[in-house]
Amino acid sequence: MNAPSHHRHGQVPRRGFIKAAGVGIALGAAGAAGLRLGGLGASPRGRWDPAAFPPPTRARVAVLRAEGYERDLETLVFEGLVEIGADVAGARVFLKPNLVEFDPLRPINTDARLVAATAVALRRLGAVQVTVGEAPGHRRDLQYVAEQAGLIDALASIDVPFVDLNTQPVRHVPLRTSYTPLAELWLPSPVVDADIVISMPKMKTHHWAGVTLSMKNCFGVLPGRIYGWPKNVLHWVGIEHSILDIAAAVRPDYAIVDGIVGMEGNGPISGTAVDAGVVVVADDVVAADAVAATVMGVDPASVGYLAEAGRFLGQIDRDLIDARGEDPDRLVRPFASPPVAVA
Amino acid sequence: MCPFRAAAVADVLQLAPDVPIRALMTDRSEIFEAAGRRLRAARNYDGGFGPGPAAPSEPEPTALAAIALGDDGARRWLMQRQRDDGSFGIVQGFVRDEGATGLAALAAGPGLTRERALDRLEELEGEPLESSAAVPLDGSIRGWPWVGGTAGWVEPTARSLLALRLFRPGSLRIGEAMAFLRDRRCVGGGWNYGNREVLGEDLPPFAHTTATALVGLHGLDDALEHQGAARLRDLWRRERAGGISVALSLAVFRIRGDRDEASGAADVLADIVAHTDLLGDPVAAAWAAIATGPGVHALEAP
Repeated sequence: MNAPSHHRHGQVPRRGFIKAAGVGIALGAAGAAGLRLGGLGASPRGRWDPAAFPPPTRARVAVLRAEGYERDLETLVFEGLVEIGADVAGARVFLKPNLVEFDPLRPINTDARLVAATAVALRRLGAVQVTVGEAPGHRRDLQYVAEQAGLIDALASIDVPFVDLNTQPVRHVPLRTSYTPLAELWLPSPVVDADIVISMPKMKTHHWAGVTLSMKNCFGVLPGRIYGWPKNVLHWVGIEHSILDIAAAVRPDYAIVDGIVGMEGNGPISGTAVDAGVVVVADDVVAADAVAATVMGVDPASVGYLAEAGRFLGQIDRDLIDARGEDPDRLVRPFASPPVAVA
Repeated sequence: MCPFRAAAVADVLQLAPDVPIRALMTDRSEIFEAAGRRLRAARNYDGGFGPGPAAPSEPEPTALAAIALGDDGARRWLMQRQRDDGSFGIVQGFVRDEGATGLAALAAGPGLTRERALDRLEELEGEPLESSAAVPLDGSIRGWPWVGGTAGWVEPTARSLLALRLFRPGSLRIGEAMAFLRDRRCVGGGWNYGNREVLGEDLPPFAHTTATALVGLHGLDDALEHQGAARLRDLWRRERAGGISVALSLAVFRIRGDRDEASGAADVLADIVAHTDLLGDPVAAAWAAIATGPGVHALEAP
């Protein structure tokens, strides 16, 4: 089947961009150079290839009230995707939830009911294939986490496949940004081969990155069998640098942020639940994260990687974000900040 | 989830973590055969094993398959992929994975390949860290990293310790590995993947990482091993939905001769192997086969 042209705002088609490189794994001798970088520090000329990243244009974001997971989430997401003009007809869609760890007392993961509802909504919008996958940052036993989080059963009940991205063949993707010295990434084929990628994070604070939303969620596509459990090499080169390079390489087409119940304080694992009651749907991950941060009471410009991403990857300027649904300023529920280490 | 499995798991989950699961005398050979079939499906034409369906061969699943199945083809594939410095792993440009060398040393059998792998393990160390209020640890203990140029972590350190305790029992780095595991031990015993505390919060231990550490340190420190094993008896029950966690736990109970725990874990593993696809993970299948077959003896002192 020929998938329609799923690219937005006149940008370079993301799938073609990612697929442009070779395949395979190098098994042989190669050295690892020094990996540390300094602070993020804005570079006046930018660290991105302008041919791959034309200046961000207008973004569309739908902010949707959702008091709980028991409501009709399928209709909610469907309407949100329609609001932002999502075009998934005929497309193979890859959904990337945030699946990190399981604790029955803490809302660590994107709720399985929202993921399943999104898959059904995408089918209603004409997606020919929906696949859900994850490669958690430190839990090698994804079967345990996915089972306990309810995702295996939720997806099985609607006949949507779940894949462990740690086990998938990988493809070589040269970076078109240079925030880290990595120069290239190996991404799992279900991500690279999809026509549409949707980042589905949990709305959380993060003790190293400030907030973890659609961009940070892209960490979870990198297989631990290459990058380790945890993916320490990415932290070693700078977490904010890594967020920028990885999000720019994965380049999700849409974002759906699960803020129905979020996490504040010592996130992304050990924080406490917040009934934020919101779902953010966007055609731009930077705009999605900027609006979600606003709902969390966090100034997007104060989040280093988000401010930098607003220069090339997506829209952070509220005047250039077409907001649909609720006014995010009226939904602000300040999230408690992560604890600060005292020397 | 199929009705049989749902009922079985629900039955098990109703038990408190400290209540022994009723021994059903599961025939381990049936699990071994089923897991072996899953594992063989990942064998490639070149003799190696891939990390998942239709994936090219890689060192970790191939080494585990060689141990689990006694597979000579896997062993040959491995021996042809040893890097010049004696290590095994994936090199992806800037990222040099070091995680499979310990397992490959076990899989290779006696000879030059194993000796070179052990040489590499004796040489490799994680980057030094500074202890901080956010992450208190003894940064002078380097341990072994997943990826060259990064810090040491529990799992690669335990794998390296396993190979050294079996084949280089006089290695000076065995003491360092033990010190690393003592330093990173969670409050109350068991191991997280790396740290014991972050930002004032005690991190929880996991079944998978705790079992991996116990496989590595078996027979080297009775008190540390006893505490970790006691914690594992709780952890594997809590994490019984995960194939690789239960399989590794079963391997620990077998090498420790804990027959009651081994019987309970085998029952649960039988259910998982029979009624799930282990998420298509050959590494999980390999550990299930090792835990239930003759491969488990490779983890014991010769």
